[in-house]
Amino acid sequence: MRLRPLISVGFLILFAVVIQTTLFGRIEAITPDLVMLSSILFALTRIRPEAVLGLAFVSGLIIDLIGTSLLGLRGIVFTIVAYIAVRTRDRADIGRVVIGLWAGLLSLVGVLAILFIGTLFGQSTLLGSGTQWEVLLVPLSNTVIAMLVAPLFVRLVDGQRPSLGFV
Amino acid sequence: MLSRDRRDRALPTFVTLLVIGLLLMTFDVRLEGGGVVGSLRSGTQTLLAPVQKAAATVVNPVGDLIDSLSNVASLREENQILEAELAAAIAALVAVQDDLARLDVLEQLYSLDIGEASIGRTEANVIGRPDAFDQGFIIDKGTRDGVLPGQPVIDVNGYVVGRVKDASPATATVVPINVSRAGIAVLVGAQIGSLTPQPLTSDMRLDIREAREPILGGDRVVTSSASAAYPAGLAIGEVIEDAAPQNGSLTAEVRPFVEPGALRVVVVLAWPPDPIATVTDEPEVSTSTAPGSSTTGAGDASSTTGGEGQ
Repeated sequence: MRLRPLISVGFLILFAVVIQTTLFGRIEAITPDLVMLSSILFALTRIRPEAVLGLAFVSGLIIDLIGTSLLGLRGIVFTIVAYIAVRTRDRADIGRVVIGLWAGLLSLVGVLAILFIGTLFGQSTLLGSGTQWEVLLVPLSNTVIAMLVAPLFVRLVDGQRPSLGFV
Repeated sequence: MLSRDRRDRALPTFVTLLVIGLLLMTFDVRLEGGGVVGSLRSGTQTLLAPVQKAAATVVNPVGDLIDSLSNVASLREENQILEAELAAAIAALVAVQDDLARLDVLEQLYSLDIGEASIGRTEANVIGRPDAFDQGFIIDKGTRDGVLPGQPVIDVNGYVVGRVKDASPATATVVPINVSRAGIAVLVGAQIGSLTPQPLTSDMRLDIREAREPILGGDRVVTSSASAAYPAGLAIGEVIEDAAPQNGSLTAEVRPFVEPGALRVVVVLAWPPDPIATVTDEPEVSTSTAPGSSTTGAGDASSTTGGEGQ
């Protein structure tokens, strides 16, 4: 990975982790999963698919390490989501709305996978009060944020020539 | 690196990462959060702590503003409820002051000198939460401030919040009682029971195995001296509805006083006073002695239901 994309990617992941754990950790009405969203949006950039999967895995591990649930849970889930994103990105690269819906759907897959795999591994901390609402609110929030920031995100990673077809 | 036109190695990478993830999860389960995994957690939290603290300082006012805007509709109603609660609390305070005066008189009469149990307290700010599905939260105090895994956490009113799960030098993560896998030995009136969390609700389940008398809605549930994890007498919540014993046992729902999502400041208690006992986190019978107090615990309710894990 060349230096500039590496710095951009590192900065974006750190930014997503910090904003998610601080600002969005406090607001109950808006609950995006920025780190999962960034794992999805990396699929829209020119980064190699296997590197996208690696980034998603590492991002998930970071959240696992600062959280209270099992190490590797989000690593696996974000990798699954990123893999689906890599396989379906050509269908999303049409416009902001489609990208938003695509990211929202993938986020829904991600949150359901977190709950399913987490429950299989006995993660009681995932099933608190309001979890049923979060299953809807997280993908919805991610949909809106993806619509707003996807082109900027891709430009930040790709540089001058973003890989998005509609930009 | 920056082209989509190359051999597809996504699938092998995907499978490899899934296998690594599953191995990590298995290691974490087997090591129960300790060992290499514990060191990794501590290291990551240490690295991220300064950035998180700085970000929390900046975003807290923004978070407060957005929270206030989203709650503005319910503020009037909440104010009225709080005013009613305040009036009731003032009435109760007057009654307590009478009792205290009588207690003073009686202590003087019998020349009693009751030593106060001194438990170290560390106030900490809640600086964040990992994500929407992780009910734990991060506080800005860590091992440098005497915060250790296993220590109980209360809010500023003295109500039980949960326990510290992991601690790095600068931060620690706390698991609230209503999602913790571990139950708590509690006291309702004169009856000892166990309080366990339930999925998808913040209400907890109270089980009293040898129930002698019914319990009433509004009865206070406090930590029992049979709990090794919490000092005795800390308020946890109140019984939601009346319940009577059936075949010698009793089950009821308890609403905790604390809403963990709304917490901004918490207090970590240095309990048990012997830190070695805290770190070893033994769920079996344990004895710890505080200055002026002695507690002999049979472990928490978890010790009978399968572990102290959080």
